[in-house]
Amino acid sequence: MTDYYREYLAVAVLIGAGLAMVGGMLGLGKLIRPTRPQPQKYVTYEAGSDPVGGWGQSNVRYYVYALLFVMFDVEAVFIFPWAVRLETLGVQSLISMIVFIVILALGLVYAWRKGVLRWA
Amino acid sequence: MNPGWDFHAIAPVIIITATIVAVLIADFFFEYRGRFRTQQIASLGVLAAMIPIITLAVDGGTREMFNGGFVVDPYSLVFQGFFLAAAYISMLLSVDYIGDGDYYQGEFYVLLLTSVLGMLVMSSARDLISIFVALETISIPTFVLAGWRKHDPKSNEAAIKYYLIGVMSSAVMLYGMSLVFGLTGSTLLSEIADKVRTLDSPLLIVAGFLTIAGFAFKVSAVPFHFWAPDTYEGAPTPVTAFLSVASKVGGFVALLSVVWFGFSPNSAMFQPVLWGLAAASLILGNLVALRQTNIVRMLAYSSIAQGGFILVPFAVASDGGAWTSSIQSVVIYTLIYGAMNLGAFAIVIALARRTRSAEITSFAGLGQYAPGMAIVMSMFLFSLAGVPPFAGWFAKFTMFRAALDANTPAATVLAALAAVSSVIAFFYYARVAREMWFHQPPEGADVHPIRTPVALNAAVVICAAIVIAVGVYPQLFARLGDLAAGG
Amino acid sequence: MIVQNIFFWVLALAMVLGAIGVVRSQNVVHAALYLVVVMAGAAAQYILLAAEFVAWVQVIIYIGAVIILFLFGIMLTRAPMGGDTKLDNDQRWPAAVVSVFLAGVLGALLIDAFGKKEIVISGAKGEQLLQVGKAGHLADSIFTAYVVPFEVVSILLLAALVGAVVIARRD
Repeated sequence: MTDYYREYLAVAVLIGAGLAMVGGMLGLGKLIRPTRPQPQKYVTYEAGSDPVGGWGQSNVRYYVYALLFVMFDVEAVFIFPWAVRLETLGVQSLISMIVFIVILALGLVYAWRKGVLRWA
Repeated sequence: MNPGWDFHAIAPVIIITATIVAVLIADFFFEYRGRFRTQQIASLGVLAAMIPIITLAVDGGTREMFNGGFVVDPYSLVFQGFFLAAAYISMLLSVDYIGDGDYYQGEFYVLLLTSVLGMLVMSSARDLISIFVALETISIPTFVLAGWRKHDPKSNEAAIKYYLIGVMSSAVMLYGMSLVFGLTGSTLLSEIADKVRTLDSPLLIVAGFLTIAGFAFKVSAVPFHFWAPDTYEGAPTPVTAFLSVASKVGGFVALLSVVWFGFSPNSAMFQPVLWGLAAASLILGNLVALRQTNIVRMLAYSSIAQGGFILVPFAVASDGGAWTSSIQSVVIYTLIYGAMNLGAFAIVIALARRTRSAEITSFAGLGQYAPGMAIVMSMFLFSLAGVPPFAGWFAKFTMFRAALDANTPAATVLAALAAVSSVIAFFYYARVAREMWFHQPPEGADVHPIRTPVALNAAVVICAAIVIAVGVYPQLFARLGDLAAGG
Repeated sequence: MIVQNIFFWVLALAMVLGAIGVVRSQNVVHAALYLVVVMAGAAAQYILLAAEFVAWVQVIIYIGAVIILFLFGIMLTRAPMGGDTKLDNDQRWPAAVVSVFLAGVLGALLIDAFGKKEIVISGAKGEQLLQVGKAGHLADSIFTAYVVPFEVVSILLLAALVGAVVIARRD
C-alpha cells in the first residue's frame, strides 16, 4: 500500500468512525429510552405557538443568491490550481485569471445594479 | 511556458467578449433612457468582429494555437463569418420585436452575443473540451432566450422543453466524449484521428454513436427532433430564427469538426448512424411538414428536413473519396440554408406584426395588398424547395454531387430518398405561395400595404440579395466551400 | 491491489443504492439527499483513481454548490415535501428494463475495452500518475492549452446569472 492510499485510509477511517458514532448513539438511545408516542410530540416546534401551514414556498429571488454562490464557488475551484502554479506560469496566467475574475465580478455588479440583491 | 498567443487570430473572439462586457455595462447606466444604445453597441461589436475575420482571410494560411486545440484556418473563418452575419441579421429581426414588447433589451443582447461567442469558438475548436464548452456556450443562453416572453405559458413551455432536451443531450454527448477520451487517451481531434485508425474496439462504435446522438439533438435530427416544433412555436419568433439558423448550424459545425478532424479514419464510428439520421430526418421532416397549418411549425419541420439534406454528405463522406465534395457540400448548404431560412422568418415576423397570427391562412391574399413582401417570401420558399434560379438549387446540387461521388449503394439509396423528399417538400412550400397569390384575403382583414420597420427591411434585403446572387452565380459560395475543404 | 478493489465495490454498492434511492424516493428533498450519497461516492472513486483534485472539486462544486441549488429549486416549487403525491412514473417498469439493458451492454463493452487495465500508483510510473491528479498539473493544462475555454466559461457563468436574474425578476 502506498503513502497516497494510506493517507486517504485515515480519511476513510475517520468517516467510518463518525458514522459509527452517530449510529451508535442514536441506536443506544433507541434501546434505552421509553417510548410513549403522542401526536403533539410530532408537531414541528415553532417558538411555542402552533405552526401554520405545511409547505412554505420560498421567493424566487433567493435563487439568485444560490446562483451567485455557485458562480464564485466555480471561481474558487479555478483559483486553487492557479495559485499552486502561479510562479511557474508567469504573467500570462495572471492576466488570464484577472480577466476571469473581473468578468465574474461584473455579474455581481450586475445583480447589485438591477436591485436583485436588495432584501426588501 | 508560453501558450503561444496570437492576438490577431483570436481577435474576433476578443471583440465579441468585449462587446458583451460593454453591453452589460451600458445596461447598468442607461437603464431607463436610451434603451436602444445596447442594441447599437451589440451590432457595432458584431460588425467590428468581421474586420479581423477579413484581414485573417486576406492573410490566409493556418494559425494553430494551444497545442493545436484552437485553429484559425479558412474552414473556421468561413463559419465565423457566417455566424457573425447570421447574428447581425438576427439582431435586425429582433430590434423592433424586443423594443416594442419592452422586454429586457440589454440582457437580450448579452445572451445573444454569448451564444455567438460560443459559435466563434466552436468554429476554431479542434479539441473535445473546447468543443463541449463552446456547444454549452451556444445552448445555455438560448434556453433563456426561448422563454423570453416569460408571462406567456407557451414561451415557458418552449424554454423548458428545449432546456430539458438540451441538458440531456449534453449528458449523452459528454458520456460519448469521455469514452472516446478513455479509448484514445487524448482530447485533441488530430490525435484521436491517429488512434481510431488502428483501434479496434466495439466500445469505440458506441462512443461515436453517443457523441453523435448528442449532436443530433442539437441539430434536431429525427428521431431526436421532438422538441423543435414546440420550442420554435413558443419562443419569440426572432429567437426562433436565431435558433433554427445560428444555433443549428453551430451543432452542424461541431458535428463536422468532430467527424472530419477526429473520427474520419474510422467510418464505422459515424457513417451508419448518420445515414440513419439523414434518412429519418428527410422522410419524417418532409411528411409531417405537409400537415402543418402554422407557418412556424411548418418551418420547424422544414428545418428538420433541411437538416436531413445537410446530413446526407456526412453519411456518404468516407466512401470513394467523397470527402472533399462532402465538406464543400456541408459548408455551402449551411451557408445557403442560413440566408434563405432567416429571410423566410423575417417575412413571417413582418407579417405577424400586422396579423398577430402565425397561421398559414393569414398569408391569404398577401400578393394583392403587399406584393413586394409576397414576391420575396415566394422567393425564399422556392429557394428552400430548391427551385432555380434561387440559391437553394445549388445547395441541393452540391449535396447530390457528394452522394454521386461516393457512388456506393447506400449513398445512391440516400440520394434517391433525398430526391423524393425534395419533391414532397415542394408541395408544402408551394402551398404557402398559393395562399399568398391565389387566395382572397379574409373578410374584414386590414388590407392596407404593410409598413415594415427599417431594420426588418434591411434583413430581408440582405437575405434576398444572397439568395438571388448565389442562385445566379453559385461560384460565390462554391469558392468558400473550396476554401473550407482545404482546396 | 485487493484493498483497492474492496473499497471500489463497497463505494459502488453505496452509489447504486443511493441512485436507486434518488429515483425511488417519494420525497424530493430526500431524493436530493440521496444524490449527495451518489456524488460523495463518485468523489471517493476519484480518490481511488488517484485523481485527487477532481475528487475535491466534486465535493466543493457538486456536494457543496449544486445540491444547494437543487434544494433552493425544490423550495421554489409548490410541491409539498410530504409523500402524499405520487411521484412514480407510470412507465417505470419499461424504464427499468431499458436501464438494465443499457447497463448490461455498456458494462460488457467497458469490461471488454478496459477490463485488463490496472491502476498502479507505486513506483516511478505511479508517482507520475499521482502528479497528473494534482492541482498543479491541471493548472498547467488550463493556462496553456485551455485558456480560451477557460475564459469562455467565465462569460458563460455571467450569461447564466443574467438569464437567471431576468427570469427571477418580478416585473
